[in-house]
Amino acid sequence: MTSLLTVRNLSVYYGAKAQAAERVSFDVGTGSVVALLGANGAGKSSIMKAVAGLVPATGEITFDGEPVQSLPARQRVQAGIVYVPEGREIVGNLTVRENLVLGGYHVPGVARRARIDMVLDMFPEIANKADGPAWRLSGGEQQMLAIGRGLMAGPRLLLLDEPSLGLAPLLVHRVFERLATIRRETHLAIVLVEQNLRMTMRLCDEVHFLRSGRIVGWRRAQDLKGEAARQEAIDAYLGATASH
Amino acid sequence: MTVIVETVGSVLRDLFPLIWSGVITGCLYALGALGLVMIFKSSRVVNFSHGNVAGFAAFLVYGFSSGLLLELSWGAAVLLAVIAAIAIAFVSYALIAPLVFESDLTATIATLGVGLVVQGATLLMFGADIVSLDLPVPRFSASILGLLITGYDLTVLFVAVVTIGILFFVIDYTKLGVAFRAISDNAFAAEVCGLNLRSVHLFAWCVAAILGVVGALLIVPTTFLSSTTVATFMLQAFAAAVLGGFASLPGSLVGGILIGIFMNLFTFYVSPEFSSTFLLGVILLALNIFPNGALAKVGGSRV
Repeated sequence: MTSLLTVRNLSVYYGAKAQAAERVSFDVGTGSVVALLGANGAGKSSIMKAVAGLVPATGEITFDGEPVQSLPARQRVQAGIVYVPEGREIVGNLTVRENLVLGGYHVPGVARRARIDMVLDMFPEIANKADGPAWRLSGGEQQMLAIGRGLMAGPRLLLLDEPSLGLAPLLVHRVFERLATIRRETHLAIVLVEQNLRMTMRLCDEVHFLRSGRIVGWRRAQDLKGEAARQEAIDAYLGATASH
Repeated sequence: MTVIVETVGSVLRDLFPLIWSGVITGCLYALGALGLVMIFKSSRVVNFSHGNVAGFAAFLVYGFSSGLLLELSWGAAVLLAVIAAIAIAFVSYALIAPLVFESDLTATIATLGVGLVVQGATLLMFGADIVSLDLPVPRFSASILGLLITGYDLTVLFVAVVTIGILFFVIDYTKLGVAFRAISDNAFAAEVCGLNLRSVHLFAWCVAAILGVVGALLIVPTTFLSSTTVATFMLQAFAAAVLGGFASLPGSLVGGILIGIFMNLFTFYVSPEFSSTFLLGVILLALNIFPNGALAKVGGSRV
């Protein structure tokens, strides 16, 4: 599988001293799903934001063979790197449809309208609320809107930050079901940061374990099927052990 | 009984013209307020240079049409002045943009500096003298139900309604309007979607500059033009913006009209000398009673 995203020695700093990620390296193949797993504060979201160009970072980020680390966030979106942030971050005062327009802001009019129809087909829960204000959506619907808005830009790599955060189990299941469908139908590469281990294991191909801003190990998802391996993942998630 | 009827009749005879002229002046305050709110909503900066830039543009119209700088037709002079105001908006934003992303307060204070520079440039180019700048409006007046309606009134109403209508259309129904509203509501979400925040900020600054010039050109014929006339007028616009919640475009429109009517009533029934004091009182009251604006609606978000 060819590498779509290559990250080498990525370091993220907030201010002079607060280091969120240190010399992180990983690859994401075309159409593959890679999960970043670690306890709170391990640097997962910072790495995602750095790849999206939303926080300053040092190191090399190559997307489809082209270096992108010097590009601003908007040019990375146009290149096909789209970040779906933690906490949804939908624009509450816009309608659902306007949020989708926002997601496809750089897409020409006709293609944008076709993509809105595609997203509303994909997420029927929000289709009948398309012209209402987005703040009226439930948490699960807002998450679907956030993912749909991400798809509007026509991404080749989706950076999904905690899509199950604050959702009831049934909604988590529904969101991941849609992600599996999206993956199957679009061959989209996904980098996933998620607290729900069970769902993560179902969706992803590879898992990278993070601790204190560093990648301390990785596994293929298929190697994490057994109980011992699952315990290893849980330990990594809780920050208890380093896995190699 | 007769005395009461006569008193009520007299009050009503005074009241309607006062309200009418308040609405007309209020439309102008609304134009000024909309410019302030456009900038605040997008960049979180209170632009204290708004009045000075609009005043400078009005002086440019005077200079370009009177022969002082050029001898152009009124329309060409206005066009050049609008271009100059947009150019100043570009330069102002270029100066302030690095601060906008660091501190709203520092950026706001920087606008005071820009305002002083523009006021200095006005004095340098046009001096401290008062000049008169007229509008080429139809000269007529008609009395309808005891209300004196002039060509100036109808021109102001027409221009304000068309300008505000176009603005609201752009904000509500265009892609650029979606970007503007998104940045106003959640700048991070807009950035995540790949929007260029600076471009949208600049759009707001340019629109505000145009609204300022339109407002200045319409207000000047009722008074005179000096280096501080339009800046003083913008104090009323500021009050209108505060009354509207400073982050609501429809609120600014309503705030402008209310301020226009309140000011007229106060000046007529109480005292013209204390109208500025009254205005500051309105600002204080509005901030205390309607901190989110007179049109604040109950909204929220669900989890």
